[in-house]
Amino acid sequence: MAAFDTNIDANLSLEVRDLHKSYGSLEVLKGVSLEARQGDVISMLGSSGSGKSTFLRCINLLETPNAGSIIVHGEEIELGHNKHGAFRPKDKRQVERIRARLAMVFQSFNLWSHMTVLENVIAGPVHVLKQPKAEAIEKAKAVLERVGMYERRDYYPSHISGGQQQRAAIARALAMDPEVMLFDEPTSALDPELVGEVLKVIRSLAEEGRTMVVVTHEMGFARDVSNKVIFLHQGLIEEQGHPDEMFEAPKTQRFHDFLANTRD
Amino acid sequence: METIIQYRQVLIDGTIVTVSLAVLSLCLSIVFGLLGAFAQLSEAVALRRLGGFYTMFVRGVPELVLMMLIFFGGQLLINDIGHITGLWGYVDVNQFFAGVLTLGFIFGAYMAETFRGAILAIPVGQIEAAKSVGMSARQVFTLVTWPQMVRYALPSFTNNWLVLVKATALVSVIGLHDLVWNAFSAGRSNHKLFTFMIAVLAIYLVITALSDLALRWVERKYNAGTRKA
Repeated sequence: MAAFDTNIDANLSLEVRDLHKSYGSLEVLKGVSLEARQGDVISMLGSSGSGKSTFLRCINLLETPNAGSIIVHGEEIELGHNKHGAFRPKDKRQVERIRARLAMVFQSFNLWSHMTVLENVIAGPVHVLKQPKAEAIEKAKAVLERVGMYERRDYYPSHISGGQQQRAAIARALAMDPEVMLFDEPTSALDPELVGEVLKVIRSLAEEGRTMVVVTHEMGFARDVSNKVIFLHQGLIEEQGHPDEMFEAPKTQRFHDFLANTRD
Repeated sequence: METIIQYRQVLIDGTIVTVSLAVLSLCLSIVFGLLGAFAQLSEAVALRRLGGFYTMFVRGVPELVLMMLIFFGGQLLINDIGHITGLWGYVDVNQFFAGVLTLGFIFGAYMAETFRGAILAIPVGQIEAAKSVGMSARQVFTLVTWPQMVRYALPSFTNNWLVLVKATALVSVIGLHDLVWNAFSAGRSNHKLFTFMIAVLAIYLVITALSDLALRWVERKYNAGTRKA
């Protein structure tokens, strides 16, 4: 754990300001901001098409935003217009460095299929963080133990269940010891009976004090685990706040309706 | 049979030319193929067009025509350039070098299609996952794209290689003394063309069988994680 510096915003892990993203004439994000302090668990809710996944993918620049700023632990990603007028990161190295501090867990796991679970977990630490291989393996084993995948460390992704693949993917993200973990609908591609095991792992990470931003459809998770909920509607934040207040008494009609629709 | 033994050195020399020509052309075609594939998958429109034109043009023209165009045309071009600039006098293009260049260029177009398809077969999510842990473009390629690309490309790659081995016989038209040329001239000189062609057939089959073994080994190596053998 890094020592706290005297900066007053030392525990501000991630700050996103006024993010805009369009695909052609379709404006998906119309200015979304977010602040994640150390230990925050932020759930992002919204119906499909609300822009929540796009927002998450913009944070680590898998999608390039059209405007806005992203600041990871005080370091702002330098974005600017290139010679063709497109808004792009100025420094590839910086993007790589920042991505390594923002681990992402995907809806469809995205484990590298030609590597075993263990190889998936050590690839980032060895090649990006330049850890010695033996050290990376030791750490990876501990992380795999943590998500209950130690026994399956020598399996290939195609030989394990979706829930196990997702737990391995979480281990891969954890092994980078990230500042913030980004979860993009981590349980949406899973069979219902496998959702529980993955949620349990994410929940335990939240309790451990991991900072995370979770795009999810799991209302129970948003309500019980997160300390902040953001509800997106058509590319704008419609409502945000503490889950207890939001779920008890929605302030906006749209979030009220959204909650009503997600309850059986 | 006695004739064959008597002429074995001619056949061995021809085989060496054929095999080295095929192997060097293969290496060059992999380079052209990768460039072609990346050009076609590039974000830049001009590169995409160039890559597309390369594969369309080369695959649409008979190898023999291209071979003669590049060999004789290339010779003219090089000498014209030398003449105009005054940098060099008359140059006789080395036939072996010309053969490698032509075959590499032609089969690069087929390889480009093979590689392009293989890269497209890799799930995008795996590339995104590699980026998301902070890998550089080069690391994404060497650690994630290449190992999987090889696996997807291998069946079609094998096919290209076998066609390439046989296409080397075309270089005899530019006067290169490969297996077919040597056997043909030996067979004609002692009126046993049939015997020599049988020998050539056997040698090509041996080359094919050996490459099949080698490629199976590569396939096993790169098939980790797909299915249990």
